[in-house]
Amino acid sequence: MSATTYGWLVLAFPLAGCLISAFGWRVLPGRAAGWIGTAAIALAFLSSIGALVALLDKPVQSRELTSSLYSYASAAGLDIKLGILVDPLSVYMILVVSGVSALIHLYSVAYLASDRGYSRYFSYLNFFVFSMLLLVLAGNFVLLIVGWAFVGFASYALISFWYRRHTATRAGMKAFVINVIGDVGLVFAAFFIFRDLGTFDYLSVFHAAPQHFSTNQGVLIAICLLILVGAFAKSAQLPLHTWLPDAMEGPTPVSALIHAATMVTAGVYLIARTHPLFELAPTAADISAFIGLATLIFAATVALAVTDLKRIIAYSTISQIGYMVVGVSIGAYAAGLFHLMTHAFFKALLFMGAGSVISAMAGTQDIDRMGGLRRALPFTSVLMIVGALALAGFPLTSGFFSKDEILVFASNRGGFYWIFTVGGYLAALLTAFYAFRIIFRVFWGEPVPEARELEGGHLAHAEPANPLTGEPEDTDVGFPGPEHHIAERDRPMWLAMATLGVLSIVGGALQIPGLDHVIETFLRGSFLDSRLYESVPSVLADWEGLAVGGAVALAGIAAAYFVYVARPGTSAALARRFRPVHAFLVNKWYFDELYDAVVYRPAIRIGRFSTGVIERVVVDGIVTATVDAVRGIGVVVRGAQSGFVRAYALLLIGGFAGLGLYFLIVSS
Amino acid sequence: MIQILLWLPVAVGLLCFVVPRRAVPALASAGSLVVLGRAIVSVAEFHTGQPGLQQTVNESWIPDLGVRYQLGVDGISVFLVLLTALLWAGATAFSAFRVPERRRIYFFMLGLAETAALGAFLAQDLLLFVLFFDLMLVPFWFLIGTFGGENRIAATTKMIVYTLVGSLLMLVAAIATAVLASDQVGHLSFSLADLRAHTLSTGSQYWIFCFFAAAFLIKMPAVLVHGWLPDAYRAAPLPVLALLSGVLSKVGAYGFLRVALPLYPQATAHFQEAILVIGVASVLYGSVMAFTQTDVRLIAGYSSIAQLGFITIGIFSLRPEGADGAVLQMVNHGLVVAPVFLIVALLWERAGSEDLGRLGGLAMRAPVLATLFLVVTLATLAMPGSANFIGEFYILIGLFQAKIVYALVAGIGVVLAAYYAIRLFQRTMHNRKPEVIDSREIGPLDAAVLIPLVGCIVALALYPGLILTRADPAAADKVDAVNAGSPPSAPPAAPAPSLTSSAAAR
Repeated sequence: MSATTYGWLVLAFPLAGCLISAFGWRVLPGRAAGWIGTAAIALAFLSSIGALVALLDKPVQSRELTSSLYSYASAAGLDIKLGILVDPLSVYMILVVSGVSALIHLYSVAYLASDRGYSRYFSYLNFFVFSMLLLVLAGNFVLLIVGWAFVGFASYALISFWYRRHTATRAGMKAFVINVIGDVGLVFAAFFIFRDLGTFDYLSVFHAAPQHFSTNQGVLIAICLLILVGAFAKSAQLPLHTWLPDAMEGPTPVSALIHAATMVTAGVYLIARTHPLFELAPTAADISAFIGLATLIFAATVALAVTDLKRIIAYSTISQIGYMVVGVSIGAYAAGLFHLMTHAFFKALLFMGAGSVISAMAGTQDIDRMGGLRRALPFTSVLMIVGALALAGFPLTSGFFSKDEILVFASNRGGFYWIFTVGGYLAALLTAFYAFRIIFRVFWGEPVPEARELEGGHLAHAEPANPLTGEPEDTDVGFPGPEHHIAERDRPMWLAMATLGVLSIVGGALQIPGLDHVIETFLRGSFLDSRLYESVPSVLADWEGLAVGGAVALAGIAAAYFVYVARPGTSAALARRFRPVHAFLVNKWYFDELYDAVVYRPAIRIGRFSTGVIERVVVDGIVTATVDAVRGIGVVVRGAQSGFVRAYALLLIGGFAGLGLYFLIVSS
Repeated sequence: MIQILLWLPVAVGLLCFVVPRRAVPALASAGSLVVLGRAIVSVAEFHTGQPGLQQTVNESWIPDLGVRYQLGVDGISVFLVLLTALLWAGATAFSAFRVPERRRIYFFMLGLAETAALGAFLAQDLLLFVLFFDLMLVPFWFLIGTFGGENRIAATTKMIVYTLVGSLLMLVAAIATAVLASDQVGHLSFSLADLRAHTLSTGSQYWIFCFFAAAFLIKMPAVLVHGWLPDAYRAAPLPVLALLSGVLSKVGAYGFLRVALPLYPQATAHFQEAILVIGVASVLYGSVMAFTQTDVRLIAGYSSIAQLGFITIGIFSLRPEGADGAVLQMVNHGLVVAPVFLIVALLWERAGSEDLGRLGGLAMRAPVLATLFLVVTLATLAMPGSANFIGEFYILIGLFQAKIVYALVAGIGVVLAAYYAIRLFQRTMHNRKPEVIDSREIGPLDAAVLIPLVGCIVALALYPGLILTRADPAAADKVDAVNAGSPPSAPPAAPAPSLTSSAAAR
């Protein structure tokens, strides 16, 4: 089979899984929906491998294959086909997406087992994977936007999966609306592209762009900035990041899949995909890189201070995506996409571990109430340490190789790009610190009652309550199920975490400077037109960078050990000493408050003003005047007061009766 | 025969007076289904790729006045006819499951209204169009005034006053057009084809266009002339409201394409920006209002204002893409707004309220209803992947190429739509359920109405090209009439390189 046939299969399996779970919600017994969903994604992963093999058969120059099903909405010169593009970049992405998704589905089979929305969950999750694969396989901007919006919807549906929690529905709404802002950005980017190039098709656009646009032409910068609006809304970069921490309202495997491993990296993919445009508009690319850097440091500082376990990891995700954005914006495509993959491994792992911990804590997510869980959760603690090491960039783990390669590329590029290297290492220090803040706070120290209970062989239970507000909840559909599941006891969760743990450690082996460069070689087929792709740093520079990165990681971990294990209480003292700074960080730099005051409340006020004033005075004023005028006429024909309307109606009916009669006569 | 399509609804309505009382709902439903079948045949027989009229009827009616009984469909109207028949079938069946008192008159009025609406879409004679346009008012006046809720009398009076003003202006304008054109035509003629071939002087076009525009904008309604909408929407029975919002609002937008553009090209070009301002204002104002209301009917009502605003700006982009998108969006909007109002009826039966503050949590016991509503919601907010998105995409890309600033401002409306539509869904289906709500699943009969409607939304989402390819020749023809008829001093629409190739392909 050709690579494109595999491409269509990759899309077909998750869609089929979604429909089966959706329509079979009443009849599917037990965990059937979970296994069907997992199998669908596993098949998609196998098809992705098929596409990879088929693509590798072709010479490097001709690895961009397109295929279209039908003309979806073509008229008036707009040619919009349901078409896919199978090239090294999209194949790389579908491998990562379907692979990680399959494991997270597997984890969910057990984790969500007691939830009454089980079928619905897997239907949504399959739909998400379908959408994400559609996004990366799309062959034109319109289909990209469709996939883009579908993942936004899937994210919405899964964030507000426990839909009776008003915190969850509100978070879902926020995510959805911010994502729509991104969609609109992409739509207008597509409009500009169509206006100037007359096509939506990726390959035609990228082919025509160098001839049509001069470097840094204004319209091209506008296109790139609009693309960035889309990319940053989805990838939670400044200033469109506020939805992602709230998205942690969804079930934890959802956080692992959508809000860490796959969907939020779509922006990175998009920048890499549209690199021919960004390379022609270096100004836009630099803006993108600087926003990535700002996000990287901002989110890392917030992750130092917040205490909700899932939200710490969420800010970590925002920060790590900053690395990727910097990478693909400065031209380190292979390194940025490599970090996308390794991050998917270790961040999904960390979230799975967090899910296990939260289950052991009977739903509590606040790390201030955790501690000493190491002995109660031996497997989870080891795997989370593995994930934290990779996140911190501990030497020879996967994160070590991928992250530092971006930073070395930056310093190698010359000019002001050293800023990204310095900023990146600074953030790496913070990253190592907060990664092990999690580990030391959760697993070290005095065991909490729940930990002791679990050591005694009993999983702690509490009255179901909203972890954010403490409201009591029943466990019917729309709230989490009554039981909790930890990786130690459930084989599917165990298997998923173990696999990701191994990948988090050895994943870096795909790209070791001086030894191999599997990813760089494979992706080259999609970046043949790039000026920057080949400007890779020397092996020596790479290893120097890696040495610095390793040292930074060790320093961060050591600092965390000092603060949380050797001298417990240091962090509390620091928080007291620097109270304003701490408050600033805990409140996430007050972005939510800012948007509330600047966007939401004014909009509501405009609406109220419209209801109260415009509707009443202007609009009703017109009709009152008109009615008065009609009454004036009515005075003239007082004999038939208010009969004006009726007479007119009678006239009309009479006319139509006449019309009918006339035709009866004519036709006879 | 297209005549059957046109006159069958009112004939069935008349039959409702003679059959036994018990049989009336069934007869009306069956009649509406037959009409729907005939409308489907009309679409099936439609030949793609022709800008002109098909399935025409052309008889002399009032020869002394030059009024002809002229009917026909083209790519613009054929799917609107289908939409009308479809929504009428849905609303009639929906009403048949909850039969009102005085059922004979109710179903007769529904039938009469369908004939009037179909007539407005089919008429190819200006006076005939005006007559059908005004005839629609009568049954709706009865339906809301007799079967409506609180304050129905005040609401209908307000609606009638508004629309009558428009109607009378339109009647004057229609007669003036024929009289003024009679010198060139050689005799008095209301035939749209004759009038298009002999357009009036620019000065006459200006005021006549304004009269027509007033009538159409009131009917849609556009912002500032929408004063009748809140009261009428609050008072109308919900199946009637589904038709009012789903079909009648389209007649206004359709009128622009059918009458204003081809007959008054210079005036259309002249007033383009003015109408665009009204359209964009409708988009923004309707959206902002929709997201502060708590009455479910008004949320849907103000969102209609916004959607009709989109359709208006699509037409007045005066680009083929914009006009294609407008035609598609007319069908789309009808397809989504009618189920919304039917679902509101179901909500009312469960909660006894139509206020967001007293609704919520229905999804748990009524997952099928919630899913249907979700699909409708996503289509309403023009989620990419829905036909509504393609409609808005075409509208905005047309406007983008014609007047970029308006397109960018209208883009805000897209974001606002996401907010108010999701809010509507969430506050009814999600969150905690208030104690008083009797949360139960949609019944099989109601499902039999809603599922086909939602099925149409999904089918159209998979292939919006179905409408676009058929609408394109006729819609482009209307737009060309303006662009060709513009005085030479006006800057010609700059053709993008892609357009020349598309024109050749066409």
